Formats: sequence, structure tokens, C-alpha cells
Amino acid sequence: MPIPNLEKPIIKGLIQKDKVIVDGVELDGTWNAFMIERTQTGYDQSVWDEIANTVEGATISLCWQCGTCTSGCTMREYDPNYSPRRFIDLARKGDKQSLIELQDSIWRCVSCQKCTHRCPKGVLVEEVVHSIHNYLLKHGLVKTDPGTIFDELFLDTVMKNGGRISELLLGGASAKAGFVTMSLRDLLTMMGPLLKSGLIKDLMKPSRVKEWDRIKPVLEEAMKEEVTPE
Amino acid sequence: MTEIANPYGKVALYPGCALDGLGKSYDVSLQLVARDLGINYEKIEDYNCCGALEVKNVNTMTGLLLPARNLSLARQMGANAVMSACPGCHYSLSRTQYFMTRYPKLREKVNSYLEKMGEKQYDMQLLMIHAVEFIYNTVGPEGVKARVKRPLQGLKVAPYYGCLYSRPKAYTLTGYMKMKDDPERPVFMDELLRALGAEVVPFESKTMCCGGPHVYSDVTTSLHLEARILKDAKRNGAELLITDCPLGHVAIETNMNKIAEKYGEDLRMPLVYFTQLLAFAFGHSPDEALLTANLSNPMSVLKRYL
Repeated sequence: MPIPNLEKPIIKGLIQKDKVIVDGVELDGTWNAFMIERTQTGYDQSVWDEIANTVEGATISLCWQCGTCTSGCTMREYDPNYSPRRFIDLARKGDKQSLIELQDSIWRCVSCQKCTHRCPKGVLVEEVVHSIHNYLLKHGLVKTDPGTIFDELFLDTVMKNGGRISELLLGGASAKAGFVTMSLRDLLTMMGPLLKSGLIKDLMKPSRVKEWDRIKPVLEEAMKEEVTPE
Repeated sequence: MTEIANPYGKVALYPGCALDGLGKSYDVSLQLVARDLGINYEKIEDYNCCGALEVKNVNTMTGLLLPARNLSLARQMGANAVMSACPGCHYSLSRTQYFMTRYPKLREKVNSYLEKMGEKQYDMQLLMIHAVEFIYNTVGPEGVKARVKRPLQGLKVAPYYGCLYSRPKAYTLTGYMKMKDDPERPVFMDELLRALGAEVVPFESKTMCCGGPHVYSDVTTSLHLEARILKDAKRNGAELLITDCPLGHVAIETNMNKIAEKYGEDLRMPLVYFTQLLAFAFGHSPDEALLTANLSNPMSVLKRYL
């Protein structure tokens, strides 16, 4: 039975029998199909409150669901399930289950900022989407995704290497973490110009913040700080 | 030389890690161009990473504190504006300024951590600018034109600004201030390139994303996005892709082989930082402007102007 696209989100499944007889009349065609009853439970109002109480997610309440963010979204083209408008809607409803089902999409934001830029209500959409994702991660509702692994790797590299980062360090660390980065051909293409121009010396030179030993503990202390939007 | 009108006051350059790494050619050529044009800036020497687009997703406080330290350093140098050559850094610094302005208690917390680090409190008195805006609003296209020794007549270029040069307007203030570029269709770099004599082709992907933070973690998408940028530039007849973003520049250059394999060899195109092209047109040799350091060999196109 064809189901209108709009209905799809609420229909979870159909029962169709080969032969159905009601009051002595055999039903066929579309009359033969029954929707599986779906009672939505587990709406959790605390999701909205918790996200609205983060610095990034504070603007979630301003959204009026116009969809400007989604219509211009870079990721939408590659992933039809990617919709900032819907993420915001589900988070405000507290529909954790649907958000969990979208976990393979929600991490893929490339931070191009079109949504935040264009939002007529001043919702910082990119920040809000990350805040929703962080909520799911924090409560252990979703598995860790490549994006988050890379983000953590980045921070880790900055902390370990004197407050700065270089392509070499980051490339090395991501190769270690299993992200495919460079083929031999890429490396050969790179080495030629780098050697010829002498840029390689600058790349190899360690670059650190002077008093990093004094700054690092403060940053580590700050990481534990809970921040609220006030 | 006559004094150049500088609307910004004292400008500090936040180099960011990119300019000390693979983006060295951007840094070197920016210095050449600024010296030629007679505009001054001072470099923040003991800077730290701005956190880019990654740290903010892991930890809120660190994502604000890393850029805030750089802002505090700039104020200690007596700067009125911070120039970033990397739009990623420009974004991070502007974002911190935005959140510190919006939430007073948060500002106090950040400032108390800055004091613990031994830095001064940040007094919110800085304007964040990008290198393109800096050149455009000080000497402008006329000033650039007056310096050109090697007019690039007939060179077809596509200016690639990247996402974060003009977005989001709440942070970068594009469209809110006179000296900022158009928020949706930026033109400052176009005009600087036209002043060199080059022909700027229409370019739809001016501010398209290159996959930025997911270059490593979501390779298929970023390859696709990068291929689209190159496709648009090719279709409009560009010979060179001119960038102002080290993130996009490095990502496209290092992925060039993969893009060519997947989407066709004809997409190969040399990339040049806009300051490199300026320096080249001002008469500097390819070695001085580090054009030889670009992985995509721009001299194959530019050698006819030597």
C-alpha cells in the first residue's frame, strides 16, 4: 500500500495478511492492511531544559520551525535524514528514541555556518545541533562517531604539544586513530614542493607556547567547569 | 611615502597554527604584500591554538578560553584589532567575543582563568578582521593597482572565500558594519584581484564548504564538496583557484589526487593564496612568494607572466 511521505514518520509498520474475512466478506487490496499501533512513550521534557541550559544550546527555545536552516544545509544534499529543524523539534519534544535513530546523521555537521547565519530568529543552529549531539553523547545514548573521535584527538594533540598544532602532528595522530589520510602518491606529491622550497624545515620545527607548563594546568582545571548561559 | 589611512588603529596578526605550518607561504606572502603596500601589523608571538572547529565541540570552557588568551595577548600589545589570515581562527576569536559579550557571568569566569594563567583580563575592546578586509579597507583596490608591476592581464581566476570568512554574521559582523563584506556574496577579494588585471570569473562556490572539520573523519562527503568547488571553477573557465583560507587550501591540495581519481582528471587545478598572487603581481619572484611551495604547482599557469 502506498503511504504518503508525510505519514511515514508516524507509521512504524504494517500488517498485511493474505486472506482476511470480516463478517463473511473477504477483504483485499488496501483494505487488507493494518497499521501497527504505535504509542509514543518516553518523551522526556528534561532534554529541552538541559540543552537550553548550555552555552551552545541556549537559543534552542527561539526556534519557530521555519526550516530555513535545513533548506540551505550543506549536509542535507548528502544525507536526506540530515535536518537541523527536525533535530531541534525532536529535542524540544524530548523524543530521545527518534534522535537515537538519527545518530548516524546528527554528527555529520561540517560547521559551514549557513544555518546560524541565515536563521531569522537568531538561533545559533550549528551550536544547538552540536549541543543536542553532546547531550546524546553525555548520557551514553549513542555510540561514539568519527567526528567526535577526531575532535577529541585534536584537543588531545593541542594539550600534549604545547598549545599548538601542526599538520604533521595531527596527520600522524589521525593515522594512528585509523583515519585514512594519505596514500604514497599523495605523500610523494607533497614532498617535492616542500623539499624544494625548504618549507619542510619549518614544518619539522617544534612550535610551543613559552609558558605552557603554567597554562596547561589552568586549562585542565577549566575543563571541569560546568558553564551555564548567564 | 604618504601615510596610509588605517581605520582600524593598531592591528595585531593572529597567525594561528596554520600559518606556521603548511600555510607558511600565506604568512610569508602576506608580509611581502603588507610591506609593499606600506600597511603595518604586529604579530602575536606567543599565541596558542584557537581551538578551530573541534575543541568547542568537546569542551565549552576550553573552546572559549583558548581564543580568549590570544585576545588578551593582543590587548597587552596595545592592539585595537586582531587580524586573522585563517577564517577558522577569525571565526573562533569572533565566537569567543560574541559569547563573552552575551553572557557577563561567563565573561567573569573566563577572565578569572586568564588571570590564573598570568594574563590580563580581556576588556572586550577588539575588532576581529580578516586579512582580505584589512587590505581592502586600508589601501583598497586603487592602492593595490598602483603597486602592480606585473599586470596579470587575461588570467582567469576564481576567488574562493570559504565558509567562515563571512559566516555567521552574528560572530563575524558581516552586514552589520560598514567595513565588513557582504554576508552572502562577498566581493572584497574579487575587487583586489581585478585590481591586478586578472579576470574574475563568476563563481557560485565562493563560500561553499570544503568539508572542513570532517576532512579526516567523513572523507566521502568532503571529497564530494571539494570536487564541487573545483567543478564550478572549471566550468566558469578559471585557471587558478584563489584562496584566503589555509584550511580549505590545504584540504583541497592534499586531496587533489583522490578527487582526480574519483571525479575526473580534468578537475586538477592549481591553488594560490590571494596574497601570493598579489606578491607575484607586485614583482616578487615565485621563490620569494613561495609559489614553488604550493603542492598544486601554480607556476604552470603563472609562468607566462614572468
